[in-house]
Amino acid sequence: MTRHLLKLWAFVQRDFLSEISYRLAFLMQVGGMFFSLLAFYFMAGMIDPKSAGLNGVPPFDWLLVGLAFQYYFSTALYSFSSRIRNEQVIGTLEAMLVSPTPTSIVIFSSAAWDFTYGAIRVLLYMLFATLFFHVRLDLGSALALALGIVLTLLSSAGLGILSASFILYFKRGDPINFLLSGATTFLGSVFFPVEQLPAWVRPASDYLPIFWSLRIVRGALLKGQDFAQLQGDLVRLALLTIVLLPLGLVCSRYAIRKAKQDGSLIAY
Amino acid sequence: MVNAIEAVGLVKTFVKARSLREIFVHPFGKPEIIPALRGAELVVRQGEIVSLLGPNGAGKTTLLKILSCLVLPDAGRAIVGGDDTIHENRVKRHIGLVHSDERSFYWRLSGRENLRFFARLYDVPYRKTEARLAELLERVDLQAAADRPFSGYSSGMKQRMAIARALLHDPPILLMDEPTRSLDPLSALALRDFITGRLRDAHGKTVLLATHDLREAEVVSDRVAILVRGRVRQIGTVLEVRRWGVRERVFRIELEPHEGPLAGPYRAIEDAAEAGVRRLVLAVEPEVSLHDVLAALVGAGARVRTCSEEQPDLEQAFSRIVGAEADER
Repeated sequence: MTRHLLKLWAFVQRDFLSEISYRLAFLMQVGGMFFSLLAFYFMAGMIDPKSAGLNGVPPFDWLLVGLAFQYYFSTALYSFSSRIRNEQVIGTLEAMLVSPTPTSIVIFSSAAWDFTYGAIRVLLYMLFATLFFHVRLDLGSALALALGIVLTLLSSAGLGILSASFILYFKRGDPINFLLSGATTFLGSVFFPVEQLPAWVRPASDYLPIFWSLRIVRGALLKGQDFAQLQGDLVRLALLTIVLLPLGLVCSRYAIRKAKQDGSLIAY
Repeated sequence: MVNAIEAVGLVKTFVKARSLREIFVHPFGKPEIIPALRGAELVVRQGEIVSLLGPNGAGKTTLLKILSCLVLPDAGRAIVGGDDTIHENRVKRHIGLVHSDERSFYWRLSGRENLRFFARLYDVPYRKTEARLAELLERVDLQAAADRPFSGYSSGMKQRMAIARALLHDPPILLMDEPTRSLDPLSALALRDFITGRLRDAHGKTVLLATHDLREAEVVSDRVAILVRGRVRQIGTVLEVRRWGVRERVFRIELEPHEGPLAGPYRAIEDAAEAGVRRLVLAVEPEVSLHDVLAALVGAGARVRTCSEEQPDLEQAFSRIVGAEADER
């Protein structure tokens, strides 16, 4: 276990060192986050606070959580496949796969920095919102929040690994990202409450982990709901995680084996 | 002695990817199957350097990839360091793969940072990592450049980094795919010396090296294997392979001035007298020894000044072996 954690840490260090070698881009991203918050702050001014689905939460606060976590979720979805493809293209994948580290660990660890960076971005969004936009965050349900974030991470990693499996096998044309990136924005209650959608569309949201993740985070941070009040949403997210994570791992194992049989493991 | 590598009847075919046009024109057409290995057999003994030679498409890289567990064979088995390649994690502890691809590192990181990252993947003990990196960087003579970005390294330095990486976990077997491909002659020479002197002689490593450079194969190898169309057609010492298919041995002999006819178990290719010396080039059957030839000459009254056997060329032997495969088809 320690060995695998050290490997995970090595991936984080590697990507952090690469990232900070582009210092200007790093600083510009932080600046960009502030300006996107500013834009959302003024956009929120146009929204009626009594709109269905906001449940008394100020529109900007509601949007803030959607904005911060949407990036995190899309990172999870894209980073496995894009990292693997990038390693294929720059020629380092073969060097990693010939090491005694199992391929599944290589795939899983490859997105470690993106998850870390995503978490830093979420924290920065929250920090900016608290400091400059007077958003009040309730940290009273830290346990439910932490559990919700861990489940979000695992469920989205399941989808991300599933997506990486398609990249390993088909090289391009990953249907998971294609389907989910649109569905997430539309049905996930990211930028508008799902209650705004026609009633017959809403049940589809139940199958998206981000929908439950955002309910938990908004409930905990913005409405001060406790563990008992969030329990139902946590269970639903846990059920999705139980299905998605093993599915991703099984598919990646199959894709690796097929790619080794075809001799296309490092082809792109 | 235990064999370091054994390939037994390895078969591998690849399916050629079809273009969009082909898929539309012949949607139910069968994809083209490309055979890469057709029952390849190879044994590499511990502590020896074997060069894998062969024309393009002979299957050299496929064989190395099967031995590195990057590709699964369709049939046959490969045993590396005593373990079957189906036990991937065990086999990977026995091998280090040296790529010819300079891109296989992170160019924005320094040499040391690159090695530190790969040290984790190779399970180098955490507390011993820095000492191991220092040792390896010294061994490949890159201490001075260790903290410079990899992007600024020369081709020779990049290749030495690839060797350092392959040695991180101190594997007994090294698989090298054209390690001197992009090197200038001096760097290539230094690398060959490193392979023979440091890797084999000093550290007892087994090296299987795929190369197109016949001169390199002659210089570094204990044995060479010639792979043609997915099969190992010949394997032996450089001399054994050079002599393959040679029907006659050739001796160059200089005699004291001698006028008389010379008869013996040979065929004279050249017989010329000049500046007080008679020069002979004699072809003999493989079973005739140099002693037989000299005895015949001395018996005819000749006095031999010098004598040497003309060694067959590896390049010619390679052509004969590849040509023989084509004739068999």
